[in-house]
Amino acid sequence: MTTASPAPELSLRDKPGFSDLQGVTVEHGLNTQDMVVNIGPQHPSTHGVLRLVTTINGEIVKDMEPVIGYLHRSKEKMAEGRSYFQYQPTIDRVEYLSSFYDHYVYVTAIEALADLKVPKRVEYIRMICMELNRITSHLLWFGTFLLDLGATSPFFYAFREREAIFKLFEDITGARMMYNYFRFGGVNADAPPGWLDDVRKVINELPFRFDEYEAIANKNPIVMDRCIGVGVTSYQDLLDYGVTGPSMRACGVAQDMRKTNPYSCYNEVEFDVPTATEGDVYARYKVRMAEMRESIRIVHQLLDNMPGGDSAELRKLEKEHAKVAEEIAAAKKRVTVAKKNEEAPNAADVAKMAEKAPELPFDYRTTGQKVNLMVFKPPAGEAFSMVESPRGMLGCYLVSDGTPKAYRVKWRGASFSNLTILPSMMIGNLYPDLMAIFGSLDIILPEVDR
Amino acid sequence: MTNEPSKSQHIEAPADDNRVLSGLLEIGRGLKTVLSHVGREAVTLEYPEVLPDLSVRFHGRLCLLTKSDGTDLCIGCKACARVCPCDDLIQIEMHRDGDKKPVIDQFTIDMGRCIFCGNCTEVCPVDCIKMLPDFELADYSREALVLDKYDLTLKGEDADEWRRTHGLAPSVT
Ligand code: SF4
Ligand code: SF4
Repeated sequence: MTTASPAPELSLRDKPGFSDLQGVTVEHGLNTQDMVVNIGPQHPSTHGVLRLVTTINGEIVKDMEPVIGYLHRSKEKMAEGRSYFQYQPTIDRVEYLSSFYDHYVYVTAIEALADLKVPKRVEYIRMICMELNRITSHLLWFGTFLLDLGATSPFFYAFREREAIFKLFEDITGARMMYNYFRFGGVNADAPPGWLDDVRKVINELPFRFDEYEAIANKNPIVMDRCIGVGVTSYQDLLDYGVTGPSMRACGVAQDMRKTNPYSCYNEVEFDVPTATEGDVYARYKVRMAEMRESIRIVHQLLDNMPGGDSAELRKLEKEHAKVAEEIAAAKKRVTVAKKNEEAPNAADVAKMAEKAPELPFDYRTTGQKVNLMVFKPPAGEAFSMVESPRGMLGCYLVSDGTPKAYRVKWRGASFSNLTILPSMMIGNLYPDLMAIFGSLDIILPEVDR
Repeated sequence: MTNEPSKSQHIEAPADDNRVLSGLLEIGRGLKTVLSHVGREAVTLEYPEVLPDLSVRFHGRLCLLTKSDGTDLCIGCKACARVCPCDDLIQIEMHRDGDKKPVIDQFTIDMGRCIFCGNCTEVCPVDCIKMLPDFELADYSREALVLDKYDLTLKGEDADEWRRTHGLAPSVT
């Protein structure tokens, strides 16, 4: 986390246009009254079930209160009644648009508790999955955000690309959205042969698609009119509400956990943290579009430096090792039960041979240490892990009392904090700007309610 | 890259006269991109006629593999039921015969409550409970989704075929 520095003075009420708008209601003495409008919980633009109790006067929002909890499924309490492995699939439902991140924080918290070492290949596969997941999440955001602004076509284009990436996820995890793929100290299964090439094919294509999106949306007069200068936040507000992620970076703060406290192997790859300074809806749009390109850059580097390379080669290597192991086993057997008219091999030679038996390097493996998932108990203690999810800082706090069930699991979802800033952004603003501002925050309700 | 927050700028709107022109130009550019999609190949599938090409790891309907001769492979260890995140979703009744061999009397899975996580498939010691690339599970009643041992079992050759396509030793005795 970056340290707080003096905040720039920027109040919503200083914005040009604001006082004029307010002046209309007062000066002309129009007989307007406050009116309460209930938005949601079944509103197509709230992307989930969020209810916003909004008081408006004319077109100006006077007050707004988000009502949450419609999607509450007691995800934290569920952990206390299930074993660690049993609980894991349910994490996918905390934040279903980028659930690799939820799994990552959960397994890294456990790895820290149980002191499990993770091979590098595993970390690389995890990072590829996470970065691709960031792209799918931002693509969905891009599509629905423009849909909220009234553009229908980009939605389909974004979903087309998202589907191509989901196909990759399906190949490696077996599921398009509910992956349940990371394991304590490893991953469920190695990437299938040829998967890395498939990934490369897809991400080579993506930058051209992003160019197309930007050709449609970037300078579109409607998008510009509805986004530029709308929903400006101040740095102090963001700090006060604990907003993280692209919304923070759109305000000029390069706060990215991947850079500030590199987890996994993020210190081995080169990438930039895109920022913008305007702090408005358009800046958030620009930051997210730039982030997708950075993710592609990261994935390219990971693919090139993947320890062990494609899994087809690894399998071949493993087979060779197995053959040697078999030979050694046979030799050992002959030492003990030498047949008649056959010379028993020298026991010392065999022992030397066994010593030199080739082994798959630790970094090439897909599980560091075999863990019996059914009876797995990390030692008593607590652990906290954080990642930079597409929506901001995502954390998991885990307390273990040494039994197979967690004593307490606490989620710190970025969406919850990002949502709390909405009223302060909306009060005094135009009601029609609500969907642009709300959309630009990229909130996902299951993560808010959990 | 900076950690310092920078002053927010007021973004100037373009002057009015060229706004119209640039707006029209940009709309034209957007429309050109949209129109260029007309000639491209469709990415959607005409679903009931054309089925998607699913991966071998697909999390679909559960099945019980058998030995190559068609007899039960399951040893009734109930590991799958223990790691399932949903309570009592997998129900197993078994007893041991005269030779202490396990006999599975009942094996039911309520597919209506299954979340297709694949936990059960991962812990099975004999690779018996597995998943099929089958997602067409809609039915008229909840009861119809409770599959019993007969519905779940994948007999002899099919089980071998499954093992072959998933990189396991095909014949199990
Ligand atoms: S797939 Fe998951 S939910 Fe379904 S039966 Fe197996 S463990 Fe239970
Ligand atoms: S884990 Fe496998 S062998 Fe054990 S009861 Fe389940 S299906 Fe049978």
